[in-house]
Amino acid sequence: MKEIIAFVRMNKTGATKKALVEAGVAGFTASKVMGRGKLVDSPEAIAERKAKLMDMAVDDISETAETEKLVTGFLDGSRLFPRRMFTILAQDDQVSKIVEALMQANRTENRIGDGKIFVLPLYDAVRVRTGEAGEEAL
Amino acid sequence: MLLVRAVVRPEKKDEVLFELSKAGFHAATVVDVVGRGKQKGIKIGGVVYDEIPKSLIMLAVQDEDKKDVIDVILRTAKTGDKGAYGDGKIFVGPIEEAYTISSGAAKL
Repeated sequence: MKEIIAFVRMNKTGATKKALVEAGVAGFTASKVMGRGKLVDSPEAIAERKAKLMDMAVDDISETAETEKLVTGFLDGSRLFPRRMFTILAQDDQVSKIVEALMQANRTENRIGDGKIFVLPLYDAVRVRTGEAGEEAL
Repeated sequence: MLLVRAVVRPEKKDEVLFELSKAGFHAATVVDVVGRGKQKGIKIGGVVYDEIPKSLIMLAVQDEDKKDVIDVILRTAKTGDKGAYGDGKIFVGPIEEAYTISSGAAKL
């Protein structure tokens, strides 16, 4: 048995749920978390993303300086991003299929910030309703 | 690879994250949690509070970096010189596989 922990973009929650159903595991636990990833060391990628974010953010109400401060904070790593954390319990032979499905569903053209998936060993699981343990409980 | 989960005081969270980043461990996930420890919560007046807010910091590290990460957290999450009840706990567990979604590579 394995525990799969996936960190995905907030707006990919729906796509991830759909992908999980299609991969044959409907059950999961999800929560809102804050996090940050590896520091991006290419200045071009940061500049490009900043221009895009500033474009999206500018309107009549928001102050440009405020927005710029916020965007810069996100990009230089001093702020945490909101992300959705999925915890999925799976049989050993399902793991590669689920990981593949998660990666397919969550890949975007932005690349940076698409998320991470971790596979952890799980020693036991118990279904509360019946008291079944181990593989049958999943 | 290892998954380090540290339960720390919420007010220490920023300091811990800052020091971790300085030590080269920038990537981390933070969840706001509530919990109680061995002291069964805190009693203020007649009221027992056993859902004490904490921050759960999770980070994936290479096996050889374990000691560095734990040292940083132990040093920064402690209150005062001696530490106090409620400073938190650190748990370390194995990660068998890790994937980066954007590239599909099976590494951090």
